[in-house]
Amino acid sequence: MTGATLERRLANYRAAIRPDPAPSAADKTRTAGLAQLLATAVDGEVVDGPFGAVVRCEPLTVVLPLDRERLARLPGQPPPDAPLVCLDTETTGLATAAGTMAFLVGLGWWEGERFRQAQLLLPDQPNELALLTLIEAHIPRTAWLVTYNGRGFDWPLLVTRYRMARRDPPIHAGHLDLLPFVRRVFRHRMGDARLRTVETELLNVARHEDVEGWQIPGRYLDFLRLGIVEPLVAVVRHNREDVRSLARLLGHIESGFADADVRRTAARGDLAGLARAFSRERRFVEALDCLETALAAPIDPPPTAPSSPSHRGEEDRWWMPRHRADFGGPPAPPPQPIATARLDAPWTEERIRIDRARLLRRLGRFGESANAWEGLAAGSGPVAAHAWVEVSKLREHRLGDHPGALDAGLRARAVIERRRRLALVDPALERGLARRLERLTRRVGDAPPASISAGSVAQPVAAAAAGTIGTLGSTAIDAQVDLTQSRSGSNEQAIVRRSPARALR
Amino acid sequence: MRTYAPATTEAVLADLLEEPSLARGVVHHRHIPARAAVYGAHPAWLDPRIRDGLASRGIDRLYTHQADAVEAVHAGDDVVVVTPTASGKTLCYAVPVLQAIADDPAARALFLFPTKALGQDQVAEFSGLARAANMTISAATYDGDTPAPIRSAVRKAGQVVVSNPDMLNSAILPHHTKWFQLFEQLRVIVIDELHTYRGVFGSHVANVIRRLLRLCAHYGSSPVIVCCSATIANPAELAAMLTGRPARLIDRNGAPAGERHVLLVDPPVLDAATGARGSAQTLANRWALPFLRAGRQTIVFGRSRTAVEILLTGLREALRESYGPRSRVRGYRGGYLPTERRAIERGLRDGEVLGVVATNALELGVDIGRLDVAILAGYPGSVAATWQQFGRAGRRQGTSVSVLVASGAPVDQYVIHHPEFVLDGSPEEARVDPDNLHVLLAHLRAAVFEMPFEPGERFGPGPADDLLAFLSESGHVRQAGDGRWYWSSENFPASEISLRTAAPENVVIIDTSPDRPRVLGEVDLFSAQVLVHEHAIYIHESIQYHVDKLEWGERKAYVHRIDADHYTYANRAVTLKPLDVFDEAPATGGHRVHGEVMVASLVTLYKKLKFVTDENVGWGPIDLPEIELQTTAYWLTADALPGRWSRNDLDVALIGAGRAIQTIASVLLMVDPRDLGLVTQVRSPHQEAPTIYLYESVPGGVGLSERLWQRHDELIVGATELISACACDGGCPACTGPRLEPDIDAKTLALRFLRECGAGAVAAA
Repeated sequence: MTGATLERRLANYRAAIRPDPAPSAADKTRTAGLAQLLATAVDGEVVDGPFGAVVRCEPLTVVLPLDRERLARLPGQPPPDAPLVCLDTETTGLATAAGTMAFLVGLGWWEGERFRQAQLLLPDQPNELALLTLIEAHIPRTAWLVTYNGRGFDWPLLVTRYRMARRDPPIHAGHLDLLPFVRRVFRHRMGDARLRTVETELLNVARHEDVEGWQIPGRYLDFLRLGIVEPLVAVVRHNREDVRSLARLLGHIESGFADADVRRTAARGDLAGLARAFSRERRFVEALDCLETALAAPIDPPPTAPSSPSHRGEEDRWWMPRHRADFGGPPAPPPQPIATARLDAPWTEERIRIDRARLLRRLGRFGESANAWEGLAAGSGPVAAHAWVEVSKLREHRLGDHPGALDAGLRARAVIERRRRLALVDPALERGLARRLERLTRRVGDAPPASISAGSVAQPVAAAAAGTIGTLGSTAIDAQVDLTQSRSGSNEQAIVRRSPARALR
Repeated sequence: MRTYAPATTEAVLADLLEEPSLARGVVHHRHIPARAAVYGAHPAWLDPRIRDGLASRGIDRLYTHQADAVEAVHAGDDVVVVTPTASGKTLCYAVPVLQAIADDPAARALFLFPTKALGQDQVAEFSGLARAANMTISAATYDGDTPAPIRSAVRKAGQVVVSNPDMLNSAILPHHTKWFQLFEQLRVIVIDELHTYRGVFGSHVANVIRRLLRLCAHYGSSPVIVCCSATIANPAELAAMLTGRPARLIDRNGAPAGERHVLLVDPPVLDAATGARGSAQTLANRWALPFLRAGRQTIVFGRSRTAVEILLTGLREALRESYGPRSRVRGYRGGYLPTERRAIERGLRDGEVLGVVATNALELGVDIGRLDVAILAGYPGSVAATWQQFGRAGRRQGTSVSVLVASGAPVDQYVIHHPEFVLDGSPEEARVDPDNLHVLLAHLRAAVFEMPFEPGERFGPGPADDLLAFLSESGHVRQAGDGRWYWSSENFPASEISLRTAAPENVVIIDTSPDRPRVLGEVDLFSAQVLVHEHAIYIHESIQYHVDKLEWGERKAYVHRIDADHYTYANRAVTLKPLDVFDEAPATGGHRVHGEVMVASLVTLYKKLKFVTDENVGWGPIDLPEIELQTTAYWLTADALPGRWSRNDLDVALIGAGRAIQTIASVLLMVDPRDLGLVTQVRSPHQEAPTIYLYESVPGGVGLSERLWQRHDELIVGATELISACACDGGCPACTGPRLEPDIDAKTLALRFLRECGAGAVAAA
């Protein structure tokens, strides 16, 4: 097929679908001097360079003291001597693929106590290299980036832009993404983990006439295509506040949590979350201190619901199946899971004590850990069975007390039996326990009958070894207890990487 | 014939040919003698590790085609390798890739296969070769099944990335910055099963490759392209159209082959008036049974999932009656579990499974070793596929037998009576049109998204500026002050492309039979009218679905699985208006034209036809709005017929000749007859003369009509032969189409028309 035929085909096609050719929109903006237009509207200056113009705004500096020495004591925080560069981008789309551009990059850094900001705006698509060059000039090689979900979104997107330009992305010493920290420490008392929510819940900052994230790409594309610049003013303001909030958040974390004495007044859930953050860096002593402080602290206020059910109506989808209609009366209390690995679950005392017991074991304080588990093993809840199993493990492997381990195992079995009568079954736990009991029975049986307790448990042991436990069928699985919480940290990472939108929930 | 004693393949064949009821149906019997291996020189530059690796697998010398390909790729030439099944084509590209990595461990290669399963097979095979050569090479598949953590490892470190065109389109190219290591160091691109990239799919793939090469140029690499194809008429041309670059044809097949008997078998005519024939499946089973009883490994190919099950049931039933090895005969088709399939493949290789009844799922590269007998119940649709299926039988030593049993379908009948068509050379071509406007524009959008266009930059046939200006009218693309064209939309254009269809607006087919409804596929609007109207039987991967509801406004069709013994055929009432003439030339009796047309189609009723016999068993109405299709067409305007024609006679003659031409066209160009629409007009309002139009049912066309225009003479001759060779007396579905009025002799009229259009003269010349 020749080019000439293609031209005729295009003409035929155009005639068929669009009898009157629309005037090309490109002409309006091509000559209009987009950079000047933009600079005037957002109160910035045009910075000319070898690769074209960029519009630069410099918002007023604000005083935001930050004690870097103290901040560095917290887990995951940058060393005190590394310069910090807060960074947030506004983009033409949500995919981090090759066709999405960052058109506004907000940067912020400290000069003494003052927080200084610069916003770099792309006046037209050809000038991207100028923008990239200017960003690079703002990021010292020793700097740490500070972002919110920047590991998953902003930075990979910028890296993509540098690769497109066949340049290497700016070198920097580290990257502090505050989203995982916020999710770990504060998520339990917020409806979601968006930066906006952080502002209202933690920083006491309210925004007025803010622009919604989904509106931003369209506003910039309208500017490029049609030269409509006014709607971008709100976008620039939005970005300025985002960067400033990064600095505020860092200040909030430092002032409220860095010092062990100051954080005694913090909410217990925050402390429990912070303990997790310490544990991830294997700083178990500090983690334990957090948990013990938390246990001494007063109980947290209930989490704020994402949407308060004050005005019902359309919200109340009473016609949907499986939805209980609202007939007035006091709102039903939200169901309280006993212990879960989810970050938005409230930190109950029991959950904190479980974490503490685990930490003690990791610290090598096995006796205390066993005691802590024993404290949790009261009652007949799902935790009790797990707690007895943990006690049994500690006694068998760490404390060398096989008869005691067997005793704990049998108690675990007793709890499981009780729960099974209520049709609450945990097959995995039962299987593991059955093997454990069998092994312990053998060991205790082989050992010389030195201790009296060994003899006293010998009788029930035989029955246990016969092992009806593992073979019983399961009718319902109580999935609320997930005691594999230590892995939850890595799960969060995976979520952040996968989808920025989901990570912010 | 109830012998269960093991016997040689020759002996069983000889017995069968003495059986009169079977021997009568044999239209053609060809004996192809054994051929010895022909070896080429071992390349002197080959890395000793690779040489030793090959030797350790018993490969001391390369066959001629392997040696040719390896040399050419080493010299930096694009090649297209054409070889039959199981001739060791993997080595043709594996050796150069191994050598490239031996020379420079940073080198990368990209392998493209049309399906995921083939890709996974090839990774195993390639890794085996690398291990034998004592080289550590990370070769990995990157497809929809690859888990996320492995994906990033493949992006960073995969030296050989094995993927498919769909994945390249939607996941690799739009994210090219994450793949920069691959693009910077890409040395070899392998496109296997080239012949499957034809029609709409091929046109899309050609554009995906344009995008791929554009990015390679950006990252500074210039990879060699190695294509492998089954036997078709125009492999070099197809490779050139798909890659946009000339390729060296390598077809000196040096692989050895044992002696082979090929038999073409026609079921007996049951009713001369309608031309109805006996069932191909029953006859196929009669041919298969004696081989199975004699312990010869046999594969029977059915054309659909249902056909496979019918064949399998028949075979097992017959073997049960006679206490034969019935449990050693298995079925194999889409829908079987992967583990089950692997077990059958293994069983075939080690001889545990004696017979297998399969769909074309076993036609492409899956390794099942070599069998004794291949029996095809029905023509698989192309000569290439026929030989791929024949090729499943064929031991290096000893005799193998391949039997093609025709069905009553027109295409089958044409093929069976033209043995030279299947056996000598291959006149059928694979056509693609990478410049189909709809396809081109869709990929141009994706290409702008991937990287801005320079002013005057070429994409496909020429500079893309006009097309980009057209795209800018809808606002997705804009030309900035520097003259370059930029993507200026929030959308993600690659995800809007479906490589298997042409039009942007598709009807989504939703299968409601599983617990959670799933999307089965998409069809373009024009095809949707006839394929997924309410109560249609929609066949997908040879599984039948009943269309319960078609939401035309929503573009959704809801279907559920059924097993029916019939299919549906919707009658399309078509009006056609020529828009533009691209080429025109005189032809005997008139002139032939190739150009652009507007087709308006209204579908009002459908018929239910029985499988195999095509018997009409009912009908129903269809209520759908008229739609228009702008496409390319080929037409014959008979404005200079020498004879005098009555209006009625001419009408019958045009339809009869048109049907036959349509059949021949679909055979020559390797397409489904449904891809070409037929309109005949006794007195065309546009041409003022009797006209036969063949239009492409894909919007914009895929280049078929231009080619038909060029091969006009062959169409006339082929149609004449098809009609005159048909056993019916006055026209039947196999030649001139279903008879409308029993008294009219459509056959004679159509032949007369074709003669006046120069059939005799051309054939004589």
